[in-house]
Amino acid sequence: MAEQPVDVEPAGENVAGETPAAEPEAVTDDTTIHDDDVELERTIGLVGGLAIGIGTMIGAGIFVFPGLAAENAGLAATLSFAIGGLVALLVALPTSELATAMPRSGGGYYFISRGMGTAYGAIVGLGLWLGLMFASAFYLVGLGHYASAVFAELGVGLPFSPVVGIGLLFGVALTALSIGGTENTAKIQNVVVGVLLLVLTVFLSYGVLDAVGVFGRGSVPEAFFSRGHFPVLTTAALVFTSYLGFAQVATVAGEIKQPGRNLPLAMVGSVLVVTVFYVVTIFVATSAFGADRLGQFGETAMVEVARDFLGLPGAVAILGAGLLATFSSANASILSASRAVYALSRDALLPRRASEVNLRYGTPHVALLTAGGPILVLVATGQVELLAEVASFLHLIMYGLMCVALIVLRRRSPEWYSPSYRVPGYPVVPVVGALASFGLIAFMQPASIGVGIVVMLVSYLWYRYYARDVTLKGDI
Amino acid sequence: MTDRPSILVPIRVLEGESVPEGVSDLLANTHVVLLGYHVIPEQTAPGQAQMQFEERATNRLDEYEAIFEEAGATVERRLVFTHDGQKTIDRTISEHDCMAVLVPNATGPVEDVLVAVRGTVGVDRLSRVVAGVFGEMDASVTLYHVAETDETDEDVRTLLDGMVDRLGDLGMDAAMIETRVDRDRGPLDAIVETAESFDAVVMGETDPSLSTFVFGMPADQVADRFLGPVLVVQREPASDDSAE
Repeated sequence: MAEQPVDVEPAGENVAGETPAAEPEAVTDDTTIHDDDVELERTIGLVGGLAIGIGTMIGAGIFVFPGLAAENAGLAATLSFAIGGLVALLVALPTSELATAMPRSGGGYYFISRGMGTAYGAIVGLGLWLGLMFASAFYLVGLGHYASAVFAELGVGLPFSPVVGIGLLFGVALTALSIGGTENTAKIQNVVVGVLLLVLTVFLSYGVLDAVGVFGRGSVPEAFFSRGHFPVLTTAALVFTSYLGFAQVATVAGEIKQPGRNLPLAMVGSVLVVTVFYVVTIFVATSAFGADRLGQFGETAMVEVARDFLGLPGAVAILGAGLLATFSSANASILSASRAVYALSRDALLPRRASEVNLRYGTPHVALLTAGGPILVLVATGQVELLAEVASFLHLIMYGLMCVALIVLRRRSPEWYSPSYRVPGYPVVPVVGALASFGLIAFMQPASIGVGIVVMLVSYLWYRYYARDVTLKGDI
Repeated sequence: MTDRPSILVPIRVLEGESVPEGVSDLLANTHVVLLGYHVIPEQTAPGQAQMQFEERATNRLDEYEAIFEEAGATVERRLVFTHDGQKTIDRTISEHDCMAVLVPNATGPVEDVLVAVRGTVGVDRLSRVVAGVFGEMDASVTLYHVAETDETDEDVRTLLDGMVDRLGDLGMDAAMIETRVDRDRGPLDAIVETAESFDAVVMGETDPSLSTFVFGMPADQVADRFLGPVLVVQREPASDDSAE
């Protein structure tokens, strides 16, 4: 049992006179040890970690984006997803190193606040919290699209579009469930992810065989860059939301067993798995219909692809899978958002009350409500692409800064920084990871960039007002 | 004399569980590993619960520690916030090398103890716990074995006499030890029924199998049905335990 010392001393106090909670004394494979013999048990294994990562990601990339991406970039959308996966991988590797050095709750926020100081930490931490809200809202709107498609399938004609209404309904239900439910949700999440991967594997295998002509149809040959080269990058920026999940693994880093082994495996593994699934999905989808028609189907394009291959049963299976996937993504994001609130309030960047635990249910009701409430407002906008891009923007800022934090820590090499996993190809990987993260932002729509910058600015001003005297930076 | 055996006393410290009456006297001659734990739902980070509840839990544990120390036990303590109580208990058992786990039920002064002996495997640890806990008390100890159909009377004699000798070696008075054998009964029901006339039960842990998976560990079932304290003697720790 390798004990890892933790030697960061946060200090100072915020406007309300609260000080950051004391750091633990050591981190072991099974626990985080505080003084006075107080321990925090680590209970999430490798499978659980992978389920969080894959479960968060797969909902968006497969069930919401194929239609939108194909419309923007044509068959080359495959390349967009591959680029997204590459950027994610370039960030996941440095993140793994940071996470094994600091396996604490809060993920990216924790690494950056300890490596680069409170100001950066506050911008990233508050940005992460809000970014997760945008992501949740995006998944919920996607869920709304799938639920409406179910109505359409049943032949129930509605006089209005039920997408936003259903999204709101599920948003309320999810928040209520996370506050009041004490069932073993992690086990359910593992099963859901397993079922999804199984359904998708069967479906995609059939699709690939069909696309290469085994069933005698062959696919429509189509120009790869049918929309030109530039949209490949803008589409990559758009669909990057499908790769946000691996960082959610880091937000529960404090609860992962054998963090030195399981954190890198879970993060890098989940990125690799979903990248393969995404690329194959887009390939199959665009081969089935061609980019133009796929684009017309919008968010639920995959249902039409499945119908084309396997008839009604296929459509029903994908509808079910889509509901499940978007639901689990939204759920995972709300829980991560609540972990982010906890990490911020532990460090006195938000009022301590924000992470208060409900005495009846034992759940952090304030944190969950502060995540669930704004999500509803965002869902009400119904803007899939905007929500997705803002979520990506805020995450990409964090990703870029994590790479920078890694470089800073490696150069100063403080005594407490002893990661058990070291990123290969240093310094190229983190440098390219940072450049790619910031670079991808440039290809977003101006509106998304605008909203993102406003969020960052507000976060910074909040820090100046509320917690300017708090120092979190490790001794480097 | 024997070393003090380490006995784990797990207590859900924030859910009203406390150290029941009589338990501290029962463990007066042991090294108590006092584990206060609090199981929280997955939506909550363990650290979050810690920020809010640590002080209250620590105060309670202080009280319990004092109770055990007053009775004469040596005490080591842990406070753990966890999503998975069983994992925490198992880990504490192996980290602190606990010989047995106490299922804390209230008891009066312990005058007679039922020791369920399953087979030769584990007799050594069972003996060490019995001798360590009850050796210096004036309690009579009854070694109880439920024989299977293919076991001869001689087999049973050898088993129980061997254990009586072992307890004698560990310093116990042979006059205080009785033996008792039953045949052709379900061991679980037999133990629970026989236990009714005793103040405490000592039994071994069962190897996990399909039936323990379906019906739960026999030791847990006995503890549920027997109203007094149950000491569950743990298996010899595996030499190499992997975490997965």
